[in-house]
Amino acid sequence: MKYFLVFLLIGLFSACIEISDDLTLNNDGSGTLRYKINLSASKVKVNSILALDSLDGKPVPSKAQISAKINEFVRILDAQVGISNVLVEENYTDFIFKFSCDFSSIRNLQDGIKLSIAQISNEKISTSADQFWLSWDGNTLVRSIPSYITQQIKNYKLEDAELLKEGVYTSIARFERPVASFENKLGTLSKNQLAVMVRTNTFDLKENQHLLDNTIVLTPR
Amino acid sequence: MSQLFKMVLGLVSTTLICTATQAQLQSIQSEQLLPKDAVTVFSINNISLLQKISMDDLVNYEFMSEVHQELFDGSTSGKTLKDAGLDFNQRLNLFYGKSNTHELTGFTFGVANKTALFEVFDDFQVVESPLTGLEIYGTFFNQLLIYDNKAILIRIEPTMEHIDAVTDSIWYARGNEMPFDFFEEAPQEEQILDEQTFEDNPNTNVFPEATENPAVKNYYELRDSVQVMLQQAELTRVIDEIFVKGINLYNFDPRFAAQLTHNAEGVFYLDNARNLDKSEGLWYFQTVLPSLYKDIQELYAGNVILGDLFLRDNQVDFEVEAQYGPALGSIYSQMNDAKFDQNVLAYIPAESPAYFTYNINLEQAYEQAYKVLLPLLSDEKNAQIAMNVLTLELLNEFINKEALFDTYKGSMFGTFNGIKKVKTKKIEFSYDEETFAYQETETETEAEMPIFTLGFSTARADVPELVLKHMSRLSSRVQRFENYWRIDNAILDAAPLYIINTGKLLIFTNDEDLARLHPKGYGKGALGKKQCKAAKQSGFMYGSVDIPKTLDGFPTEVLTPRNAEIVSSLKGKSGQITLTSSETNTEHTTFKISYSFEGTESTGKHLLDLVNSLYLIYTLNP
Repeated sequence: MKYFLVFLLIGLFSACIEISDDLTLNNDGSGTLRYKINLSASKVKVNSILALDSLDGKPVPSKAQISAKINEFVRILDAQVGISNVLVEENYTDFIFKFSCDFSSIRNLQDGIKLSIAQISNEKISTSADQFWLSWDGNTLVRSIPSYITQQIKNYKLEDAELLKEGVYTSIARFERPVASFENKLGTLSKNQLAVMVRTNTFDLKENQHLLDNTIVLTPR
Repeated sequence: MSQLFKMVLGLVSTTLICTATQAQLQSIQSEQLLPKDAVTVFSINNISLLQKISMDDLVNYEFMSEVHQELFDGSTSGKTLKDAGLDFNQRLNLFYGKSNTHELTGFTFGVANKTALFEVFDDFQVVESPLTGLEIYGTFFNQLLIYDNKAILIRIEPTMEHIDAVTDSIWYARGNEMPFDFFEEAPQEEQILDEQTFEDNPNTNVFPEATENPAVKNYYELRDSVQVMLQQAELTRVIDEIFVKGINLYNFDPRFAAQLTHNAEGVFYLDNARNLDKSEGLWYFQTVLPSLYKDIQELYAGNVILGDLFLRDNQVDFEVEAQYGPALGSIYSQMNDAKFDQNVLAYIPAESPAYFTYNINLEQAYEQAYKVLLPLLSDEKNAQIAMNVLTLELLNEFINKEALFDTYKGSMFGTFNGIKKVKTKKIEFSYDEETFAYQETETETEAEMPIFTLGFSTARADVPELVLKHMSRLSSRVQRFENYWRIDNAILDAAPLYIINTGKLLIFTNDEDLARLHPKGYGKGALGKKQCKAAKQSGFMYGSVDIPKTLDGFPTEVLTPRNAEIVSSLKGKSGQITLTSSETNTEHTTFKISYSFEGTESTGKHLLDLVNSLYLIYTLNP
């Protein structure tokens, strides 16, 4: 997992990054999560780091090691209760990584991801309610950015402000019925009224980790 | 009568020898306490150095706190080198040596004030001395030997292999069984590395158990005792060698003694031949192929590197001479007997922050190495070596060496031309307004990249052309243009590599401007006459680095944060590093590295400022 964390560091701390989380939520609480990390704008830098043996005293993983670790994560997550169809696409030419999985409930999704990360990193991640980043009561979705992502962005140095300003985080929530209202002022509603998107740059997200938090209320069934 | 005569003669001889030795020891300086086994020595001429670097300034640098900590074992707070009672009219000689059984490290120095010395070395205890006039003091690790007004601080460490060998020998001779249980399940690597698991599981903390009889040592206790005894035995041997027999590096190697006569601020000595002899990496040769090893030793005989450090006005010079024996010298002299290829100069821009030229004759070097090395290998009665010799001889017969060495003659050049923005591509995520459906769009972008050019002389331009032609048939990434070839995404999977085949030079670069606009050289924009002359006259190698230009131009974003910080801190410092070499003959090659700078500050202060900047970065950002 140390290798994987180093790679995450490479992605999140050293390069211009585009992250997209895309949640599709069905009326019954099941759905699909798609998560994409795009480092193609920084592929020169990522390649030059991957060419190193170590970075600040930590070993730099090879592409094969990164791939093995990602696949281990997929294998663990796929075995979690209520999680299915876990898929990962790894593009080491442009450094784009796409992850998706189906879930039976929001709770299953969050527990599954937490447990998988904990298992793969040998780190204890709190399972207390305040660590949940999604909640759904059938009509209202309350969402934020998972703390293990915002924490990484928070650690970004201020000297890298320009790089951070070029980075983008996009958060999309899709539903089966129209959205009645949403709280986040940065949010936009799709023309078909079935999706809400919130975008910001990673610099602003570092400054305010709750910038993408949103409460979305759907029209009654 | 004759017996009496013999006795008197014997007494007189003994007295004369003793007197000579005593007289020699009385007149010796700190450098004459260096053990004969020292293979690397850096000797500082304090008198000359302190005229250029004030001791008051020196001890106030932050990095000196580390030196004081190390020197005085951290036990004497507030004391500095200046308070240590050292005699700065004598040299300070730092040494490292290695025999097949021990490692020796330490330094020798003059003593001006013994009371002051022991206020600093306050944790040293008096040890009984076997010799009159020799005082011995010791700590757990180090020994301090003082004779008259000079001293040697030495640390002797037996090698682990030697300790194990002696311990095993005693252990088994006492009728003991194997001390390790190899059948016990060894802890997995992950468990050892994981601190928490290791702490939580005391069963993995395997320590040797005490024996039933406390008077009998277990294996590990025996090994500790052996280590101490070996240290003491080696110390006795060193004392006997230096203080009784009067043998030291100074009189053992006249090349070292001669080097000390140079009027330099520092002197460097590295005996490569003895280094090779003690090299652990050659154990296979030493044990399995002893005769070949002996031949290699003979080949390296006389191989020593000697250097002088001079602090001159606005310039620091490090002059190095590599000396070698006739066999190795014959290969080097043939290798460096090459005509400078002036064609390369047209491809080094005048504004290049850093560049080098390297001029060797690979064909002559190959022929000479073949002549010298093959007989050594052929004599070896070893199946694997015999097969390798046969392969080598067959290749030598069948390969068209002329074509090979005409294609790659050996001379080359390289330049760093700062950074440029290179075109690359990125993928952007986009979402339509209707449903936020996701799309990927490929767009052009620019990335900063260091621009390097590397080229070598060739007399067979048709050979690389042939290779490239076939490569272009196999991959669309390889494309032919009017004056150059381009291989897409060859650099870091993002930027193209350009190959320029001029007919006399084959050049590889990621500089699009060079390929497109200057395929025949930079013309008036190339290196000036003065620099060209310096490169041409500089033996087989020449290098130049303009520090501010190189550092200002270097993209810190491709460096690790620590290294980027170091580079940033050095930005703005003026300075130029030049590497020159003499022509090589069968006996030696000389090199000179000069660091020159502009400004009114003294050379010593400039150098110490640089060292201190680097020290602060490393210590303040652990």
